[in-house]
Amino acid sequence: MNRDLRFTALKKTPFHSRTSLASRTNKYYNWNGFTVPTEYSTTELEYTAARNGTSVMDLTPMCKYMINGSDANKFVDYLVTRDLSQMEDNTVAYIIWCNEDGKVMDDGTIFKFSNTKFMLCCAVKIYNWLHDSAEGFDVSFEDATDTTAALAIQGPTSCSTLKNYGADELELLKPFGMKQYNINGYDVLISRTGFTGDLGYELWTDPANAENMWDSIMEAGKELKIRPFGMHALEMTRIEAGFIQTNTDFMAAEDSLRPVRMRSPYEIGMGWLVHLNKESYFVGKRALKREKETGNSERCLVGLDIDGDKPAVGSVIYNEKKEDIGIVTAAMWSPTMKRNVALASLKRPYGIKIKENIFAEIYHPEELEYKKIWAKCKVVKRQFFSPERRNKVPADLYE
Amino acid sequence: MSDNYDVIVIGAGHNGLVCANILAKKNRKVLICEARENCGGLVEESITNFVPQIPLSVSSSLGGLPVKYKAKSTIALSESGQHIRLVGNQHIDHKVISGFSSKDADRYVEFHDKMSSFSKALGSFMMASPPRIMNNTFSDYFKLFKLGMNVRMLGKKKFNEFARMIGLNIADELEDNFENTLLQGLIAHDAVLGSNLGPRSPGSLINLLYRMATHDNSIFAGIYEIDGGSKAFVDTLLDISNKNKVEIKTSSSVKRCITENDKAIGVELHSGEKIYAKKIISNADPRSTYFCLLGTENLDTDVKRRIKHHRSKGKVAKLSLSLNKQPEFINCDKNDLESRMVIAPSIDYIEEAFNPSKFDKLSMEPILEMKLKNSDQSNPVLNIQVQYASYGAQEGWDKIKDNYVDAVIKLIGKYAPDIQSCIETKTIVTPDDIEKNFYVSGGHWHHGEIQIDQLFMLRPIPGASQYRTHLDGLYMCGAGTHPGGGLTGIPGKNAAQAILEDA
Repeated sequence: MNRDLRFTALKKTPFHSRTSLASRTNKYYNWNGFTVPTEYSTTELEYTAARNGTSVMDLTPMCKYMINGSDANKFVDYLVTRDLSQMEDNTVAYIIWCNEDGKVMDDGTIFKFSNTKFMLCCAVKIYNWLHDSAEGFDVSFEDATDTTAALAIQGPTSCSTLKNYGADELELLKPFGMKQYNINGYDVLISRTGFTGDLGYELWTDPANAENMWDSIMEAGKELKIRPFGMHALEMTRIEAGFIQTNTDFMAAEDSLRPVRMRSPYEIGMGWLVHLNKESYFVGKRALKREKETGNSERCLVGLDIDGDKPAVGSVIYNEKKEDIGIVTAAMWSPTMKRNVALASLKRPYGIKIKENIFAEIYHPEELEYKKIWAKCKVVKRQFFSPERRNKVPADLYE
Repeated sequence: MSDNYDVIVIGAGHNGLVCANILAKKNRKVLICEARENCGGLVEESITNFVPQIPLSVSSSLGGLPVKYKAKSTIALSESGQHIRLVGNQHIDHKVISGFSSKDADRYVEFHDKMSSFSKALGSFMMASPPRIMNNTFSDYFKLFKLGMNVRMLGKKKFNEFARMIGLNIADELEDNFENTLLQGLIAHDAVLGSNLGPRSPGSLINLLYRMATHDNSIFAGIYEIDGGSKAFVDTLLDISNKNKVEIKTSSSVKRCITENDKAIGVELHSGEKIYAKKIISNADPRSTYFCLLGTENLDTDVKRRIKHHRSKGKVAKLSLSLNKQPEFINCDKNDLESRMVIAPSIDYIEEAFNPSKFDKLSMEPILEMKLKNSDQSNPVLNIQVQYASYGAQEGWDKIKDNYVDAVIKLIGKYAPDIQSCIETKTIVTPDDIEKNFYVSGGHWHHGEIQIDQLFMLRPIPGASQYRTHLDGLYMCGAGTHPGGGLTGIPGKNAAQAILEDA
């Protein structure tokens, strides 16, 4: 065994010198080949900052692809299920894309600079998929994952923090809008996007600017309850917001070993992103049209409101005859709403036509013993938490 | 928008003509759009040498096809004059081979019987439309089950042998059986003919089985020449088309398929003219059909991948030498000169010829299959299939064409020393020329390799077998579909059936 480990080592993000300094727990994980903190101090504290102050998260490991070329506009419309033909410059859109069988490969966000320039952000690497899809289109791609530093600034005081940092008139930026700034001598792109379901922004800049940006923002938010937060706290906020996570709430089509595990957009509550009346063809359109017409979607992804206060992590869901009808993909006790919530993948008609009389079997660990709880559930809207401040323009400002 | 026609067939190759006529006989109003001036596609004197017989099922669905065939024997030329002459009759061939090796003669009969029974097991499958594996329907599984049963019914021993041989290379099997290198070379030649394989490439054996299935289940029997040549064949089809009131528009190349609501409703010609029909059938190769007619913007990424990976690089060039007198082939009589003459002296020789083609280069000692036309007249023509003449040769066909022709002639000179002095004119049609002049991408005879991953329900690509493309209303009937190229008309017939089923 004399392998050179330099080639297999996890990469450090441009913020690593700062995130490692902030870490009190030394807990890291591998996200897309980068080492990033799961937790800085305690997850509960970080979660509380995200809901009451400003939270900062290193987003650099997200896959980022630049799409350039005279057909870039046509190409992204072909790639994704959503109709982007009317998308305006300097806006962002939430999107999913499918394979030929109409099974979801991943979700992500697309940033439009102009008809010839886009940026795609997503969880799963798709450089190959982009290239193979591009046959017949005049487009080129650049994997900007390593060359763009990204930071999520989320929470009620995030707008004020960023204004202190130098982002003038940021409160006027609409949700899913983006604006180019020059702060401290560096270009910083700020988009009003995020994964917490709250007021929040994402910042995109040159890696050379990363440390300076981190320091300046921490300074700017000093009086606004700023705190870095890790993956665990993010997981809590995204469940409350009802956002889905690839390979957690559904299997990415390319990653599923078993074809029956692949899910169509209709099966994960993303039907609203499929525009079958889009004029041009998009990947998976024929299959999705067939599914829509025949109505043979087998599953659905729903929100559950569960009795009691024990999180239904990994629970199996049953009907009243104790027949297995699905599984919980993500669950938590929501401190903000004081509700026991979960996302669950159910076999239709459960979740669509039958919304009552379903039960979760919860195994709750109590000091090396499991307590088995039979909890009644109700199918509810997946978006558990959606405060008014999330979409308010101008955004709330605090001193 | 009114449908002017029931069906538009794109391309008047023989499969297109067969398909059009079967549909016209069922009272469909059919138009054929042909890009070239002439009909027949690759069925042309400058391309076709020897052919199998059109199967009865095809000719009968056309209401008879009055074409006369002349059976041809085969002669494997040897530099020493020790030629092997085979006619496809077990008794006669046994006797001939005994003259070289009595062991080989016995083995040959055994080998041939075995291969013949395998090709028969495949045979019924060859004629019908293949199952579509992505459909998950009972009838598709039943078809697959039937093929399995056909093979299993051969008996346990033969079934095991079939399983052993299916991915084998032809060289191993021949070397296990025979000691005469010329005989080995001859059979190996037929196994790799028209393909992108050498005798030692895995899968070359199934290639031979496949060929046998359309050639009367025999290696050397079902080889014919059309009486009157390719032109007579095409003229016969055109006569039938006339009777069936099939309209043919020549010099009308199709630019793209017109679609409405993701359904093919017509074609647009390069001239700008638009013609509408209920169904569109493409006799073009899969790549052209998908990338040009259907259009890349209408394809799923996975389909693009499959079409891009579809192997369709042609390896056969056709050299025609017009002669002022009959050349003197060493130790050949008049009968021999009328046979199919093969220059492929050994397996190693073929493999050497194949080696450069792996790198898209050319061997100056290729393998040849020759036909001497008008051998008894004053202006004979020597038609030569030259293999491995790589598509897009690295040397550049423009630069190397003349040298290559000279090399082939020099090679023939070893067997017919006076060939040089007999030549009046020489014309070569390379795979690149086939692509340009006949609109076949890659210039491949079969519109795509005949190999296990591109056969049966995988032909041309998974999800597009059974002659239907991914676009509603657009079908395929060319050699790129099951069972592949060769002058059989089966793809054309099966495609017509698929359309009638859907109507």
